Amino acid sequence: MAIRVSSTVPGGADVVADIERRSGERVSACYQCGRCTSTCTGAFAFDYPPHRIMRMLQLGQVDEVLNSRTAQICYDCMTCSTRCPMNIDVANVIEHAKMIADERGIEGDEKEIRLFRLAFLKNVRRHGRLHEARLLTWINFRSFRPFNDLSLVPLILRRKKIHIVPPRIKNRQEVHRIFREINGGDK
Amino acid sequence: MSDASSSRYSYFPGCSLTSSAGEYDASFRLVAKELGIGLDEIPDWNCCGASPAPHHWGGNLGVLLPARNLHIAGYGHEAMVAPCAGCYNRHKNAQHELSGSEEIREQATRVLREPVRYEIEILNLVELFDREVTPEALAKRAQGRLAGLNFATYYGCLLTRPAKIMNFDNARNPVSMKPLLMATGANADHFPFKSECCGSYMGLAHKEIVLRASRRIIDVADGLGFDAIVTACPLCHQNLDLRQGQINKAFGTNIEMPILYFSQVLGLALGLNADDLGIDSHIVSARKLLAKIEQGAAERTARAADASGRGGASQAVCAAGEA
Repeated sequence: MAIRVSSTVPGGADVVADIERRSGERVSACYQCGRCTSTCTGAFAFDYPPHRIMRMLQLGQVDEVLNSRTAQICYDCMTCSTRCPMNIDVANVIEHAKMIADERGIEGDEKEIRLFRLAFLKNVRRHGRLHEARLLTWINFRSFRPFNDLSLVPLILRRKKIHIVPPRIKNRQEVHRIFREINGGDK
Repeated sequence: MSDASSSRYSYFPGCSLTSSAGEYDASFRLVAKELGIGLDEIPDWNCCGASPAPHHWGGNLGVLLPARNLHIAGYGHEAMVAPCAGCYNRHKNAQHELSGSEEIREQATRVLREPVRYEIEILNLVELFDREVTPEALAKRAQGRLAGLNFATYYGCLLTRPAKIMNFDNARNPVSMKPLLMATGANADHFPFKSECCGSYMGLAHKEIVLRASRRIIDVADGLGFDAIVTACPLCHQNLDLRQGQINKAFGTNIEMPILYFSQVLGLALGLNADDLGIDSHIVSARKLLAKIEQGAAERTARAADASGRGGASQAVCAAGEA
């Protein structure tokens, strides 16, 4: 896939500078050796492999990066970061692109992973701790795949690996205050 | 050794260890008790936010949730131990952020309504055992119980990365589990996929990532003839164990690779009961491995009897002859 230079946007350089400042990583130092991509376990599911994300940022193509499936899917295993000869924490760069995309309200096409992350956090906000059973059933119904992983259910139940009754901490107000503090309380 | 000293460590179990990874909690508590390592569970701890928290709402949620735990962690203790690699990682990250930013400290102080404390030392499970037990002491107690077994040490991502914050072991070639595993009498040969990712929390939204990533790990361990993979992360365990059947189905393989927690292996080495350690709560059975341990024990008993009792044996023959 060719890089579309024409899509370089005005102001793109500001966003890249913002990513560099917030992440503390030098995006400009990347010389495209491709080691990050060669070790990435998720690249086959991305639209742009990690080294290409780095190049696009260097060129100021921030819209493509913020809207990419890569920024939405990358699960931050940081393998790429341990391999970079320039000591760039590539995963950290992608992580910050993901945060900026979220701040700008970019939802992207990866509905299910977004649903999972938000459902996880709502679950924690409610109980103070994660209630796995509720999260799993909720995700399956909301993503219209009620039978996803159904084969695992008897295995989990037989080994008592899941609790039906939700956990609850005493000082839930404090956890609620944390969510309100970061303005995520109403999302 | 088994008379527990005063509780020197503050214990953060985390959500997984109270539900899907109950056997990790049980085996950790048992082994700690057996080794005289006192634990106090942090009362009223909350979820660390795991992987989703830092991704959303500016990222500080991933700092403030662990900050509350660090604040109430119990400062009379030597350190706080978090056996879940994810919880360990999130709390270390939060500590790093808190120590580096006045703004975040103020934010934490605002929600906690008192000046935030965050400086408690955070240990993962491997680190704790490495600090508390010397290989020599373990070898003495294990008496070669796990001889003949070969464990693939699997560290995954979150114990060691990012290296500059975790500051634990080596992010590319971690080795910290090896000395204690060797002390059990077992081998822990080099496992080239020890720091590869299992696919993380993609199991629900992108199952193909988990199946593909985890398949490489169990496939290589199987090909190299390891008896089990040893891990210190409940999510790695879930991907490698719970989804092993899905992996076999997806790739037409027939692998049966037991996945054990580091604490379970230490428990087996100390002679603790396999059921109490939760070995049978895994999806992939470890019965072959347990049979090997029993067989080894029987052989050692026979050899010991043989060595100590050459005279005894000949006496028995004489007695039989006289009768």
